[in-house]
Amino acid sequence: MSEWNSLYDAILTGDDKTATAVTEEALEKGAEPLELVNQYMVPAMDEVGKRFEEEEYFIPEMLLSARAMERSLALIQPRLAASGAKPIGRVAIGTVKGDQHDIGKNLVRSMLQGGGFEVYDLGMDVPHEKFIEAIQEKDVNIVCLSTLLTTTMPSMKTIIDNIQQAGLRDRVKVMVGGAPITPEFADQIGADCYGDSAYSAVKLARNLISA
Amino acid sequence: MHSGRRPFKFNCESMRLKLISCEIFYREICYAVSRSINQVDVEFFPKGLHDIGAEKMRGRLQDALQNVDGAYYDAVLLGYALCNNGVAGLQSNGIPLIIPRAHDCITLFLGSKERYLEIFNQNSGVYYETSGWLERGEELSRDLQPISIQNQLGLNMTYQELVEKYGEDNARYLYEQLGDLTRHYTKCTYIEMGVEPDGRFEQSARKKAGERGWEFEKISGDMGLIQRLVDGPWNGEEFLVVPPGHRAAASYDASILTVEKIQS
Repeated sequence: MSEWNSLYDAILTGDDKTATAVTEEALEKGAEPLELVNQYMVPAMDEVGKRFEEEEYFIPEMLLSARAMERSLALIQPRLAASGAKPIGRVAIGTVKGDQHDIGKNLVRSMLQGGGFEVYDLGMDVPHEKFIEAIQEKDVNIVCLSTLLTTTMPSMKTIIDNIQQAGLRDRVKVMVGGAPITPEFADQIGADCYGDSAYSAVKLARNLISA
Repeated sequence: MHSGRRPFKFNCESMRLKLISCEIFYREICYAVSRSINQVDVEFFPKGLHDIGAEKMRGRLQDALQNVDGAYYDAVLLGYALCNNGVAGLQSNGIPLIIPRAHDCITLFLGSKERYLEIFNQNSGVYYETSGWLERGEELSRDLQPISIQNQLGLNMTYQELVEKYGEDNARYLYEQLGDLTRHYTKCTYIEMGVEPDGRFEQSARKKAGERGWEFEKISGDMGLIQRLVDGPWNGEEFLVVPPGHRAAASYDASILTVEKIQS
């Protein structure tokens, strides 16, 4: 890892202009798309997550890095797809019915993309059945549910019950998060895990995939 | 100030009660207390405790509960809801602890959790205003601000502060992403409780709705739940009664709150 270190640095410092410029240059010079992702972009986002955990980075820094990563990834994606490279997993994410707060959900989405996942963002205030459809149609491995209000927490249980009733529970793992959510609640409703930050979501998703 | 132990009187005609309340209900609580058959001593806490996180909020309220003289009062009341789990884990201190079964303050203004749920299910992107929220403002008090979750995550910065730290371009993006929890809201609902002196609060809510581009709506609140909180007796449908030796917990169902026995 050396030739495109400036891509790593640009993502780490949240400099999206440099990140996209370096990505373009690298692709022009024939760099391997998957190598750019795995050797520079994913490690940069891992370092961002680490700095967030150590309280050296805060949400604004994380967002700027995620933007730099997303924009670079957008340039690489068509070539990745053409080369037949597969994402490490597919995720459907959304805030549950009744929840209109998507800052946390968007951050988790960006971090998962940065971590090498293909993410279907269902948006916010998502009707329960949309999660089922995503499992059936997009063949996702992980469903991520978010909410900010205790009022809408029971929806998380309903969604998991619906997945069960549709006979799809064995096909997906369910991850829950949001300000009022606790690990005990995740257990109680039969979720597979609870994530307390956008970066922990990436680590947990990787564990769920490899489990 | 207090002297003489009184026999325990629960559910009797007139009680001595301690009420620990969020200041957001100041006018409503004062009104209800003045009309109550009970002697109700009130201690107000600054609004926005839910923003310092469940653990710290619980800590502050538990400290206040520990200071309540269980020999003098018949019960202690909370002018709080579940408030993002901030009341989960609270223990009564030798006398019953009464908590309204509600997710947040809006239920107390609307008079019942069923009415709130009905309105919430119609439109969850609503910003509610009352006299308390309007006159006391949205800003956290100076002692709460530094320990707020927003501050810990870097979400509390003004546009100008973002520009200074991240540059104009980045600041614009960050402000779009983080600027406001209520950015997807579409409506401002002003709840008139009937304790306001005149139309000034309604005017102020209308103005705010206009500035934010939100539809404005005025609805009548209902003092019933707050009045029943200070009056008792407390029916199990509307109130959680935490007996000594127990603590409050979130139930994650329609009852909102439940009790757990404290294992000794």
